[in-house]
Amino acid sequence: MDSFQLLMEGFATALTPINLIYALIGVTLGTLVGVLPGIGPAMTVALLLPITFSVPPASAFIMFAGIYYGGMYGGSTTSILLNTPGESSSMITALEGNKMAKRGRAAQALATAAIGSFVAGTIATGLLVVAAPLVVDFAISFGPEDYFALAILAFTAVSSVLSRSVVRGLASLGVGLVIGLIGIDQQTGQARLTMGVPQLLDGIDVVIVAVGLFALGEVLYVASRLRHGEPEVVPVGRPFLGRSDWSRSWRPWLRGTALGFPFGALPGGGAEIPTFLSYTVEKKLARGVTREEFGKGAIEGVAGPEAANNASAAGTLVPLLTLGLPTSATAAILLAAFQQYGLQPGPQLFDHNPALVWGMIASLFIGNTMLLVLNLPLAPLWARVLHIPRPYLYSGIVLFAALGVYALNSSWVDMVILYVLGVLGFAMRRFGLPIAPAVIGLILGPMAEVQLRRALAIGAGDVTVLVRSPMAAVLLAVALLALFAPLIRKLAARRITG
Amino acid sequence: MSLPEEPGGATDRGADPAYSWRRPELVLALVVLALGAFVIVGTADVTAAGSTFGLGPRFFPIIVGSALLLIGLFYVLDVVRGGRGDPEQAEDADTDAPADWRTVVLVSVIFLAFAGLLDLLGWIIAGALLFFGLSVTLGAEHRLRAGVVAVVLSTLTYLAFVKGLGVTLPAGLLSGVI
Repeated sequence: MDSFQLLMEGFATALTPINLIYALIGVTLGTLVGVLPGIGPAMTVALLLPITFSVPPASAFIMFAGIYYGGMYGGSTTSILLNTPGESSSMITALEGNKMAKRGRAAQALATAAIGSFVAGTIATGLLVVAAPLVVDFAISFGPEDYFALAILAFTAVSSVLSRSVVRGLASLGVGLVIGLIGIDQQTGQARLTMGVPQLLDGIDVVIVAVGLFALGEVLYVASRLRHGEPEVVPVGRPFLGRSDWSRSWRPWLRGTALGFPFGALPGGGAEIPTFLSYTVEKKLARGVTREEFGKGAIEGVAGPEAANNASAAGTLVPLLTLGLPTSATAAILLAAFQQYGLQPGPQLFDHNPALVWGMIASLFIGNTMLLVLNLPLAPLWARVLHIPRPYLYSGIVLFAALGVYALNSSWVDMVILYVLGVLGFAMRRFGLPIAPAVIGLILGPMAEVQLRRALAIGAGDVTVLVRSPMAAVLLAVALLALFAPLIRKLAARRITG
Repeated sequence: MSLPEEPGGATDRGADPAYSWRRPELVLALVVLALGAFVIVGTADVTAAGSTFGLGPRFFPIIVGSALLLIGLFYVLDVVRGGRGDPEQAEDADTDAPADWRTVVLVSVIFLAFAGLLDLLGWIIAGALLFFGLSVTLGAEHRLRAGVVAVVLSTLTYLAFVKGLGVTLPAGLLSGVI
């Protein structure tokens, strides 16, 4: 089998001592930063980007794979031990997980989350190995109009799914698109929207935008309404599962994986929907004592959503690696990391850089195993991280945000841009605009423009070229559907009630 | 919260004071609208004749700008008619607390002062001042401890990133010393 052979070669790359060390550093830093309250996986990846600046690409992506999965693990520890999750994807875990912890079953909650994440991550990465080459074979014939349609689908899906208000999702997307326009037009060399500031000619780096919107925006937001007093952290020993916990956990793990992977791979799918679905499914399937336990700390309600969360993280990598299409904010930042090395994910990446791609995929398996081995015994240590006094935590986040941005160009202008974006992130948080559409618009906007202009040039100005391929027509139709679905639902509801 | 409370979330338009122009979110909605205008006006000077089909460097900005004008218009309408987004959930933010603008302004001033003084003072001094200032502003109780943590953290990051990872950070006043 071809991709099996490539995967084995990937393992050969990833299993060299130096790359194993990079993977270990990646998972450790990823977990450490992911555990910190207020820092989700997207911010974890954005803040840790500068560390990889001086590392060769293959090793850097092995490290990133570790950071990516580590950040997810860390997030679940936070939501179980501290009942106020910051990320929407671990909100569901907190529902039952924190209640379990308060009933003295923190060790079991952490164990089912860690082992469930391992099981789901391993199966889903296996599915990635199978699915990626298939998508690559399919995508190799994609024309510019297909890529343009894909980008539009990603835009509308992420804007309408992630927010309860479509107009706010679209506003966020638009802001991202505008930021993406700033700088020199790639095709004609014309400066656009630079307002005469020479530092803007190269555009605003994605790292600045991500760090500004996520990190500085979060700090300003927290500063505006800081919760005073010590946070309540549930104490925990070494995680373990009893016999009955195992038998109650393994089916939710598998069901969660089955929900998480496909949703992660879809534009706008993300981790929110599958974790929520998994929770609902487990609650529906619960019988007897378990049914009573739901709402008071049922282990199924942690096992399923945690598995779904990790499986969707692997699912996200399918469109990212094979099409260059990010479907979540974290994926958008990973894409930016690729671009920093001059690499463009897509079918060609598998052709030109098989060692890098397969090394990264192999290291996902390795990182996942490392995380399991690391996290079960180290859980009490991670729990201690949650006690960091909040003033130090948020000052530290700003310090590292500044460090990451200054490391890019050594320019104070970037710091001012960072601040402006931080204020924007603050306003978006306060008024409930989702951040992910902005990051995806920023990174996919320039690609959409290139593909649109290329398609129209091939069509000699004929706009119908955009729907000439059946693939593009279908994608655009689905994009429209995603945009208007909430509206149609609302009209239907109004008709029924009225 | 300082803005009029309404039950429910973004899409709710309850029977409450339905139409109002006095909502803080209106500012953000107007910024979105203005951004659309800015894109269209701001690219007016971009003149390179692209290909013959009008696909020059202004083509895509005009689409984005027009879309943003439309979105901004709907956004303004939504806000005026009483629509409201759900404030983001965060681990350490109390969404029911009134906004503490003093802290936000102080954090902003400290950060901008840091940005302006970084090249002059160098990473270790400016970074330590940034950390110290922010942690005291955000409520650190022991100033001495905050100061020690600040100096240790900025020195360690300097050593780790400059000596260890080869990242460029300014040495500033301490350029001869370290």
